[in-house]
Amino acid sequence: MVQYNFKKITVVPNGKDFIDIILSRTQRQTPTVVHKGYSISRLRQFYMRKVKYTQQNFYDKLSTIVDEFPRLDGIHPFYGDLLHVLYNKDHYKLALGQINTARNLISKIAKDYVKLLKYGDSLYRCKSLKVAALGRMCTVMKRITPSLAYLEQIRQHMARLPSIDPNTRTILICGYPNVGKSSFMNKITRADVDVQPYAFTTKSLFVGHTDYKYLRYQVIDTPGILDRPFEDRNIIEMCSITALAHLRAAVLFFLDISGSCGYTIAQQAALFHSIKSLFMNKPLVIVCNKTDLQPLDGIPEADMKLVMEMKAEALKTVMGQGGEAANDEGVLLTMSTLNEEGVSAVKNAACERLLDQRVELKMKSKKINDCLNRFHVAIPKPRDQKERPPCIPQAVLEAKAKEAAEKEKRKTEKDLENENGGAGVYSASLKKHYLLASDEWKEDIMPEILDGHNVYDFVDPDILLRLEELEREEGIREAEEEDEDFEMDGQELTPEEREALAEIRKKKSLLIQQHRIKKSTAESRPTVPRKFDKDKKFTTERMGRQLSTLGLDPSMAINRARSKSRGRKRERSVDRVDRDNGDAMDVDMDQPNKKMRLRSRSAPRSRSTSRPPSELVPGEGFKDSAQKVKAHKLAKKSVKKRNKDARRGEADRVIPTLKPKHLFSGKRSIGKTDRR
Amino acid sequence: MPQGDYIELHRKRNGYRLDHFERKRKKEARQVHKRSEIAQKALGIKGKMFAKKRYAEKALMKKTLAMHEESSSRRKVDDEVQEGAVPAYLLDRESTTRAKVLSNTIKQKRKEKAGKWEVPLPKVRPVAEDEMFKVIRSGKRRTKQWKRMVTKATFVGPGFTRKPPKYERFIRPSGLRFTKAHVTHPELKCTFNLEIIGVKKNPNGPMYTSLGVMTKGTIIEVNVSELGLVTPAGKVVWGKYAQVTNNPENDGCINAVLLV
Repeated sequence: MVQYNFKKITVVPNGKDFIDIILSRTQRQTPTVVHKGYSISRLRQFYMRKVKYTQQNFYDKLSTIVDEFPRLDGIHPFYGDLLHVLYNKDHYKLALGQINTARNLISKIAKDYVKLLKYGDSLYRCKSLKVAALGRMCTVMKRITPSLAYLEQIRQHMARLPSIDPNTRTILICGYPNVGKSSFMNKITRADVDVQPYAFTTKSLFVGHTDYKYLRYQVIDTPGILDRPFEDRNIIEMCSITALAHLRAAVLFFLDISGSCGYTIAQQAALFHSIKSLFMNKPLVIVCNKTDLQPLDGIPEADMKLVMEMKAEALKTVMGQGGEAANDEGVLLTMSTLNEEGVSAVKNAACERLLDQRVELKMKSKKINDCLNRFHVAIPKPRDQKERPPCIPQAVLEAKAKEAAEKEKRKTEKDLENENGGAGVYSASLKKHYLLASDEWKEDIMPEILDGHNVYDFVDPDILLRLEELEREEGIREAEEEDEDFEMDGQELTPEEREALAEIRKKKSLLIQQHRIKKSTAESRPTVPRKFDKDKKFTTERMGRQLSTLGLDPSMAINRARSKSRGRKRERSVDRVDRDNGDAMDVDMDQPNKKMRLRSRSAPRSRSTSRPPSELVPGEGFKDSAQKVKAHKLAKKSVKKRNKDARRGEADRVIPTLKPKHLFSGKRSIGKTDRR
Repeated sequence: MPQGDYIELHRKRNGYRLDHFERKRKKEARQVHKRSEIAQKALGIKGKMFAKKRYAEKALMKKTLAMHEESSSRRKVDDEVQEGAVPAYLLDRESTTRAKVLSNTIKQKRKEKAGKWEVPLPKVRPVAEDEMFKVIRSGKRRTKQWKRMVTKATFVGPGFTRKPPKYERFIRPSGLRFTKAHVTHPELKCTFNLEIIGVKKNPNGPMYTSLGVMTKGTIIEVNVSELGLVTPAGKVVWGKYAQVTNNPENDGCINAVLLV
């Protein structure tokens, strides 16, 4: 189902802007530099490209305009007619035709000048030809400026047209101006249409949506129609006529029986008869509005006759659709939008009639056979002649009957309220149904505090019992909490479990310590690619220790491993550093991190751990601890950059790869590679 | 559900923002500064275009201002000096007046004898042969250079057939052949797209005239039946002379002025 949405049409620029856009685009997107000394073919090509590029752009933009504007013959006749009424079909077609001719003219111009450019033998000649070509194209565009302006206006207006789907269930509201069509629309849908006391408040079609029986109906509010000959009608009225003529919808003809709209019933009836030809094949409902001012029974005889005539006409349409003749309730309805009585009845009647008509039509059409096989009510095949009606137990029947009787008899509070003056006037007495020892006490006001005690504390005779219960509950809950804590203490653990717990805790604290060390030196660690076992955790000593815990003799394994990794340099300095272990935190580490050790450190290797690092030691030469801290910081800072580059010291100038591959190979995406 | 006129409806129901008009006024006042900023900062082609537009606006504004400043009071205007009027102190002298009134026909006859016609462009730049022709090499070894191709706009006439290619010396390419000219009537000041009947005279030489080459200053004959001119005798004029006023090979079209 095509959604008629004219919002997607691109903006039509006005003539001058159009030319500016295209010419500046040509200037930006084509090469701009050309010299006298280039070869003649290059010059020709340069200018031909510009001419062709400009033509192509004009062509594209004009084509989008011509394509995006809807063809009045190709869309639904409702929209075709509506656009004709609003914008005048001829004018519209002429404007689009002009755009089309302009497009063809520009193509012709470009073709001619490209042909001429082939004979250009100097830069000056080619350039003048290009200037002439572009100039002529722009002149063509200047001539269609008024058409472009007109199309832009149309586009803006079209984008604001209501999106009416001509094929779905629609309810159309029509009638004289000021009869209450827009108020009705506001009542049944969420559309917020302007309602004012003057005529022709609604100047165009408005759309709202409403639901009935789980289906969505679109409701179209039309501007009022006056009783005039067809030729005299203005654009606003023509909109409604168009909608009436082309949409297959249920029509609600509104009648103002109070005459407060300024038109008598006679005039309205005259209108009805003049447009009744438009109601053919449409379910018609005549709605008498404003019954709060004048009920239907109170109108004079002559008017009543007119109304009955209209009703007869409407009945004819029902007959035409094969509906029941007896159902004249759905044809003439009364309502008042002010006090909202009858509004939903009207809506339901209209929706029902429309639905019936549509279903009937569908049943008669050929398409139904496609979906008929989907509807299937399974009925069990009777196996014998015995009657088996549905079985309802007697008690249920009696109860239902009683309920029905009760419903009628019972008076609800709401009824009481309405009787006694409505919502603001009457306030219900909530204490009416209290069950008390004496009925006189019902309206008494109960005190809250009496003799210094809360009355509520003594209201309940079992209140003490309840208090005891509550306390007991609390006690139980507390005990449970204690129980949970209990288990955590470890007094119920077996010795093995205790050992295991201790081991786990030790390992956990180890990991935490390691992580802390890593973090503290993170700034100074080099950003080199991570290799397996950077921290040198996998050593033979560790292996030996683990094997011995398992109960095996590790020496053979260690020797074998050692012999395989023969060529390693022995790092003598390691042992010394090992012993003078500066960090107390490394106590549990298997093997000191050799590489980390060898990094440049300005701190002396033998450092006492009994003093905190920022405490002032007399022999060191610092003024106060703050200075010492600052000195440490400076030292660390100076070392950080080197550490990050994984340098061993100030003098380490090693270049690990003299010719890294990524700098010495590969092609450039743009440019030359004669410099690397 | 907002319908097509939701903006107006909202304004109708809720009115404008409290500071709406203030803001609008201030925004408009700021536009002046913005424009001047753009005028100062825009560079390149954009700047030039903007400057041109602005200049046009400025000129228009100045004109309107001048118009408003015109006073409605009349100023004293000096009497027109009659021709031949002489100041008082020269009245006694006798001036020699060699006023000979010759009739138009005699003048025309003289001109015809001299072979000079009154045309809008009496003098044009001479076009050299190497500018007019391009040498085409032919032959198996491309050594023969007797062929020439015309590089200017030409007119060949409807019944034209080429000579056999082996013998044609002057090649007039079809891309450079024109059949129509944009002819301006000097008095009516309007331009018509008229068919060319033939080339009457090319100022660069009779050879070019015979070839039908049209350069600036060439006299061509055009079909003016469109204009509906009639001779005093009652005959319909259908051909008139016009002179080419532009360089057709540079503009891609022939602009001419009708010789009345």
